[in-house]
Order: sequence, then C-alpha cells, then structure tokens
Amino acid sequence: MKHWIYILFTGLVLGLTSCIEIIDDVTIHNDGSGTYKYTVNLSASKVKINSILALDSLDGKKVPSKEDIENDFLDVIESLKKKSGISNVDYSMDFSDYIFKLQCDFKSIEDLQDAIKAIVKEQSKEKDAEEYDYNWISWDGSKLMRSIPELDIKQTKSMKQEDIDLLKTGNYTSITRFDRPVDRFENAKALMSKNKMAVMIKTDPYSLTQDYNLLENTIYLTPQK
Amino acid sequence: MRFYLSLIALTTVLNGFAQQSELLIPKDAVTVFSLNNIQLLQKVSLDDLVSYEFMAEVQQELFDGSTSGKTLKDSGLDFDQRLNVFYGKGDQYEISGFTFGIKDKEQLFTVFDDFEKSKSPYEGVELYTSFFNNLLIKGNQGLLIRVEPTMEKIDEITDSIWYARGFEDPWMELYYPEDDYEGEYDGEMEEEMYQETFDTEDQGNYFPPDQEDPLKKNYFELRDSVNTIYQQRYFSFVCDELFKDGYNLMKHDLRFTEHIKHTSEGIFYLDNSRSVQKAQNLWYLQTMFPTLYNDVKELYTGNVILGDLFLKDNAVEFKVEARYGQELGSIYEKMNNSKFDKDVLKYIHKDNSAFFSYNVNLREAYEQAYKVIVPILENERNVQVSYNLLMLELINEYVNKDALFDTYKGSMFGTFNGIRKIKTKKIIFEYDEETFDYTEREVEAEEDMPIFTLGFSTERGDIPEKILKHLSRLTSRFKNMGDYWVYEEAVLDAASLYMIHKNGLFIFTNDEDLAMNHSDGYGADALKGSLAKKAKKSGFMYGHIDWSRTIDHFPRDFFNDEENEILDAMRGKTGNMELTSSKTTKESTKFNLVYNFNGEYENSGKYLLDLVNSVYVISK
Repeated sequence: MKHWIYILFTGLVLGLTSCIEIIDDVTIHNDGSGTYKYTVNLSASKVKINSILALDSLDGKKVPSKEDIENDFLDVIESLKKKSGISNVDYSMDFSDYIFKLQCDFKSIEDLQDAIKAIVKEQSKEKDAEEYDYNWISWDGSKLMRSIPELDIKQTKSMKQEDIDLLKTGNYTSITRFDRPVDRFENAKALMSKNKMAVMIKTDPYSLTQDYNLLENTIYLTPQK
Repeated sequence: MRFYLSLIALTTVLNGFAQQSELLIPKDAVTVFSLNNIQLLQKVSLDDLVSYEFMAEVQQELFDGSTSGKTLKDSGLDFDQRLNVFYGKGDQYEISGFTFGIKDKEQLFTVFDDFEKSKSPYEGVELYTSFFNNLLIKGNQGLLIRVEPTMEKIDEITDSIWYARGFEDPWMELYYPEDDYEGEYDGEMEEEMYQETFDTEDQGNYFPPDQEDPLKKNYFELRDSVNTIYQQRYFSFVCDELFKDGYNLMKHDLRFTEHIKHTSEGIFYLDNSRSVQKAQNLWYLQTMFPTLYNDVKELYTGNVILGDLFLKDNAVEFKVEARYGQELGSIYEKMNNSKFDKDVLKYIHKDNSAFFSYNVNLREAYEQAYKVIVPILENERNVQVSYNLLMLELINEYVNKDALFDTYKGSMFGTFNGIRKIKTKKIIFEYDEETFDYTEREVEAEEDMPIFTLGFSTERGDIPEKILKHLSRLTSRFKNMGDYWVYEEAVLDAASLYMIHKNGLFIFTNDEDLAMNHSDGYGADALKGSLAKKAKKSGFMYGHIDWSRTIDHFPRDFFNDEENEILDAMRGKTGNMELTSSKTTKESTKFNLVYNFNGEYENSGKYLLDLVNSVYVISK
C-alpha cells in the first residue's frame, strides 16, 4: 500500500501539486475475498492542472501529457489484470474533472497485497528495496490489521511551502468495509458507520507524509454467526 | 611641471593597460557579459556566485568546499579589471568561461585549488589544468576556459571511425544484442536505450558492454577517446589564436572593442549573426541549399545586440541597441513605421498591473520583405525553392492583401490585470453516515486566474465577426451577447473567453468585467497622464510593469523555467519597469529598459548578478 500511495503521490501530487482528494476503499468479505477501490479527485484544481499540462516542463522536470498519464495508468491496469487472484479490474479516467478511479476484486488479502507490491516494483527503479517485504494489511477472519502508507518524509522536506500548503488542504479517506458488524477498533481517529459495517479514517495528505501511523488500525469484528 | 604632466600621462597609460582582462576573450565568444564595476561584487559570496547558471560551465572546481564562507574579495581577483563572462558555440566546438584580473595569485589558488600546473606551450603564459577546465595566466590576467567539441562533431567522427572498422549500428546492437529485432527502427528507441543504460540510480555499477577482444574499444569508449582528442585539439586551436597570434574578440569585432570602452557597470554583447549560423533549424538549409544559406547568412550580417547596464541609486537601466545590416534594416524600418493607435488607451485601466503596446505596419513590412527575399530565392537553382517561390508569387498576386492587412494591421496591446477568483466547478464526495457509501456531487468552486487582455487594431473587424458567427453555429459554447462574444470555458477549460469588437479594435480577454461593463472602454478610469503620453511617444514598443502589483502574483506555472529565472530575480522587490524603444532606422533600433525600485538593496552586487544571469539565460 505504501508504495501504491507513493506512486500516486510522486506522480500526481509532486508532479501536479494540487488540492487532492484520495479515497482508498477496501471491502473484505467473511471468506477473505473482497473489492478494492481507489479514487483520486483533482477536480478542485483543474485550472491549475490544465495550466501545468499546457507546459513542456515545470521546475526543470518534464510535464507529462494527458496521453502520458493515460498510458501510465493503462500500464498499471493491464499489469493488475494479469496478477493472480485479481479479477474484474475496472477503471475510469475523467480528464475534464481530473478524477481517476480504479477498482478490482481480489480472492484474498494476500493476493491484493502481492499484486500491488508487484506493480509498484515494476514501476519503480528500485527493484530490491526492503520495503517490498513489508505487509500493510492482514486478515484472520475476525481481525483486520491495516498498516500505513509510509510516505517518504524526505520528499516533503524538499517541497516548497506553497506545495506543502496545498497538500494540507487535500483529503485522504480510508474506508474498510465488512460483511458483519465491527466490534471495536484501535485507532482513536477512526469513525464507525451507523450500521457498524464500515470504519473510516480521514486525514490530509500532508499529515500522512509526516506521521505514517495515522492510518494504522486494528479492527475487531463481531463473531461470525 | 612637465615632470608631473608626464607622470599623470604615464599613470593614465598604465591604468589603461591594466584594464585588459578583456584581451583574453577568444574571438569565438558569441555572447559576452563584461562587468566593469566589479567592486560591487566584493560582498558576493563565492557560493552564491557559483550557483548562477552563467557560471555553470566552469563551476565544478569551485563546488568542492574551497569556496565555503569566502567572498569574491578573498579570491585574489583584481577589482580594477573587468570580469568578462563569455560563451560561444560554433559548428565544431563550444567555449565558455571568464576572464579576470589577478591581484593575488596565492589567494586565487585557494579557490582554484584543484588546478595543477602543466607545461605551457605559450611564452609568458602559465597553464593550469583540472579535470574539466583550463586556467591560463598571462601577467595579471586570467582566463578560465572550457572548450568542448559539439555533440554533432563527436558523433560524426565517432560514427565515421566505427563504420570504417566494419561495425554495425552501435545503437541497434546495444538495444537488441540478440539480433532478435525484426521491426523498423523506432525513434524512441534511442531515448529508451539511454534511459535503460544511464538512468539507473546506481550509476556506479554501469559498465559498457564487453567486447570479445578487451583491447578493442566499444562504441562508447571510442566516443570518449574522440571527445578527448577533439577537446585537446580545439583547446589548442583557441589558445594558439589567443596567445600565439594575439587574435582575440577585440581584434575580431571592432564593435565589441568600441562597446567595451563604455564606463557603464556592465556591458552585454551578442553577435546575432553568428548566433543565427549556429541555429539548428538552419542546418537543413546549409546542407540542402548552400547558396540560399549563404544569402540568408548575408542578410543577417552585421546583426549584433549591444547593451549597457547602469546601476543607479534607485534604478537599474539597461540600454540595448540592436544593429543590423541594410537589407534586414530596411524591413525593420518599414515594419516599425506605424502610428500609435490611441483607442488602445481606452481599454487599459488606470490601475492596471502591467501593459504593453506594439505598433507595427505589417503591410509595409511584407512589401519590403518581399522585395528583399524574392531576389534571394530567385538566385537559388533548386526545384523545391523554385516551387516555393512560384507559390509565394502566386499568393502575392491572388490574395487580397488589403483585406488581410486591414484585418490584422500588426499593432496590438496587452494588459495584465492581476489575479482574480473565478468561479469553477469541482466534484466532491459525500458520505452516507449509515454506510459510508459515497456519491459524487458537482459544486461551485473558486480558483485563481490571471486576468489578461490582448487586442489588435483592425479596419476589417467584419472578417473575424464572420468567423465567430460560424463558430457559434458549431458549438453552443460560442455566444453572441450583443456588445461582445463569449466562448464559455475556453481558458484552461474553466474560464470564459470574451471577444469585443469596438473602436477599431478586436479584443480577447478573460476579464468578465471588461466585457460586460466596459466594452466601449474604461472611460474616466482609462489610462491617462504621463504613462499614456509615454506609450504614445515611444517607438514601436512600450511596456510598463508595476512590480508591487504584478510580480508576486505572477503564477509560476504559466512561465517556463527561463522566464521564471527572471521573475525570481525580481520577486520581493517593489517598483516599476518601463520599456521604451526608439524609432527604427535601417541601421538600428534602440531599447531602453528602466527599472525603478523603492528602498535600498543590501547587496547591489548580488542584484547585478541576478540581472546578468537572467539575460544570460535568455540569450544562451
């Protein structure tokens, strides 16, 4: 997960620094299978993004064209489709409002985790980073442990204040859904839905880069009937 | 008495000779910045100095800690001599560096501590070399120079040797070592190969592919050897000219010799005729149509830009003279033979942040260019050129030039009216508290948008109106609102673009207020007084910027890196900038850029370097 986020952050936030909203939504069924949804919403900054995309380069870095972004996104989709235990991969790219969505079903949490790790490895130049061994989510049938996207704090240190301010105005929402009610959870900042079937944590992208424990949570479910 | 007069005369002569660091500028220098009053630079830290782009080519040695905590004062430089920064690129090699006076050689080598003394082939000249650069000292003058063969030259020689040895295309071989490629060569291949080979983070582990015989060089090793040999060859060539033949830029171009005598704080020299020759887009012309190339070169002969930079108490003045040859000058003279369109002033608000006006007579310029260029094309005996010439002559006969040049006469103006919030729409996600399911909803939002107006004079506004009428049939986003036209969400897919056709002007703006409420002009709120008079009286161009209102609000995203360099140099400073131009003659046009600022600057030397760097980045 952390590298998944990392790609989005480096690709979208640092490249097209803007007011960003990210929704990370995982549904886990009792048998461990589930659905993973990821949404990036940049519609609040579409003027800025359009102006950046009109440039060849910004701060000495090449600005990707819409085609480049589309191709990179499609590469990820194609790669995801080929991963074991992953099915029903769906996506949408809205270049008028700059909303990007990705969704897939997984047979098990491990399949999802392995698929994401593999894609991040494919996309990254660093092929042997020890972070690839890191497990960010585990499920034993009654307890879900979600870890954090450990974003590289160094990245934000090199960012300009105006870019940091924009990250602070963004939103990161993490939702975990289940087939049966949640009994309790450990992260004090998390909220439970009224039907008790989902847990949500909201923060901003900048806070995430500074405190990678923000999204860490262990969720205990009520016993299965 | 005679003794004293002789003493004064002798002192003057000696001082005159002392100011001679400029004698070491090679004749190949196309761009030169010569800082006269380098006393100003004494406070500049060396670390700041080497961070400028104009120092980039020669700064490696200075970036190794030897500069830490030191200022130029500690560097052994002679502040009574000029500091001349130069750059030049020809067909075969590129030179960059600077020349300077030396007061304390020992101190100098505490900064240039990576240089080692080498045997000098030139009498009376000491030679010091480092990995990249060369330092030559003659008397109390120093030349730090880097000479590099052009990439094109290295490619040409390397490829020639490589193929002569019977090898295949090295790029294909490296990219498809197994000979498993059967498709056509893809232009992106080379780029990908470079990325694959060099873009790895751990470059220390990179080695070129092995050869079967380790004594034979692979392509890259051969290329390195060619580079080294040609670097030495061109370095010797440049230095022989300077130190054996005594031939330098001063002797090569008398315009430079005259210009460097100016006592301004800095002078700027750009030989546009040589700059034109190195232009990549002329390569095709040179190869395919050599006669035409020579004629075009001839057209640019004498094209030089000479500038003076004056630092005053509360102003910086940059005087520039663009000189050109008679033929090109005749086109410019006709082009700039135009009167200021007074109606422009109606659309410039008295409180605007920045505006410019540009008055040209495209019709006369076209006729004169036709007279100058057609004979040049007629001289070329080539089918393609003849065909193009025929097309040009037919178009000249058949096109209604009255309609064309009455529609767009060439005069235009532009204003920047600051940053305003514009209404846009964004998508938000709303969560159901029961299930945390979310739905999308479009809501109103606001984003910053720079407000620009651009207009041009026209006598045939009916022609653009025709175009707009047709466009409005094609899309409902194009609407005729009576006093103006609107194209919704035209600017960055968010803001509307308004078009106004009134008072002999056709205006494009994203300023809703101008379109809706002031389509006839700002009336009493329009620009008047001294600024309006100056705009009217200036030559073909006038510009005014109020920095305090403008510069800090300029969005970086709208400018490229080079433009941002200039803007960064100006940020945080208040004042105004004014650009005026003289009447254009067949010989030259003069421009005067005055930057008046409020308050004082702690380090005017640093400020001078900011400006020099900005101009260097643009002219390079």
